[in-house]
Amino acid sequence: MLVDLYAKKIFNMAYQFAGNVPEAEDLSQDIFMKLHHALPKYDFAKNFTAWFLTLAKNALIDEYRRTKWEKRQRGEFDERVHAAADTDDPERGLAEEETRRILWAGLNALPPDMRLAVILKEIQGKKYEEVAEILGLPVGTVKSRINRGRLQLARILKDRKESADVAL
Amino acid sequence: MSPCERIEELLASYADGELGPEEKALVEAHLAACPECAALAACLRSADAAFAAIPEIEPSPTLMDRLRAVAAPRRRFRFGFDVLLRPSLQPVFAVLTILAVGFSLYMASPDKKRIDQAVNRQIHLGYSAFEKLTARAGALTDSLGAAADNLFVSLERINPLGKTDASDR
Repeated sequence: MLVDLYAKKIFNMAYQFAGNVPEAEDLSQDIFMKLHHALPKYDFAKNFTAWFLTLAKNALIDEYRRTKWEKRQRGEFDERVHAAADTDDPERGLAEEETRRILWAGLNALPPDMRLAVILKEIQGKKYEEVAEILGLPVGTVKSRINRGRLQLARILKDRKESADVAL
Repeated sequence: MSPCERIEELLASYADGELGPEEKALVEAHLAACPECAALAACLRSADAAFAAIPEIEPSPTLMDRLRAVAAPRRRFRFGFDVLLRPSLQPVFAVLTILAVGFSLYMASPDKKRIDQAVNRQIHLGYSAFEKLTARAGALTDSLGAAADNLFVSLERINPLGKTDASDR
């Protein structure tokens, strides 16, 4: 069943994009409703996963434009993320957790297309070609967009770390 | 474009190991001499590692139920031959079968004309009986109405409540 195959993928994509669980759940439901309506138009010659993820991407960006999420705060990480990312070294674990928190909040500073490209490549580990297919853009454009996004997040991380060092 | 801006543009590709030997040497030489760019490169690597460590989380059972409800086909009326096999329809089919057999026998009968005449006669008899019945019912209604009128007149004469006419005073 499509829900069993794709629910986790879509929910995580929505969660990483929106930044909080309740919103991601509503978005996932919205995406599956859109899928339900769009299925009769699916061209069997196309890769279904890429087609569905493109539909999800369009739904997420449409919703972003409709509601302007950049004005909202991203939620804290879901406790399940911390539970899964725990390390044996507590000090290192805390530093990594802080880095994750800064980057998680920093994702909201990126424009929606760039944010989604970074999520697909850096968090979900997709190849540039796969991201390009989902976003419907040339690979070169996607690569440049992702690299600019990574650099912007690295600057945010650097600024926050420098501020923290000054405070200490 | 300053040397730092030029290096920043190459940093992501450098972190991915995608630079050629010349550009790689250029970046490394700059990073060795520029603490700002070196710190940015370190943050880029930290960011990459932190993102890669963000795990996927399982959707909640509630969400799964909501998504399955979206995917479930809506119940619409669709005719299927299995409807005909419902036990509740068996008496209907039995009656229809009897009627169909009777009608076939009637159509194939050599005495069809006599049957028609007999049926017509029965219909006329039934109709006249019905007319007689309605006439009797009408007569009964009339007689009941007359009896009721008589009763009211009698009651007024008896004057059981002892009403007095104002003109009597």
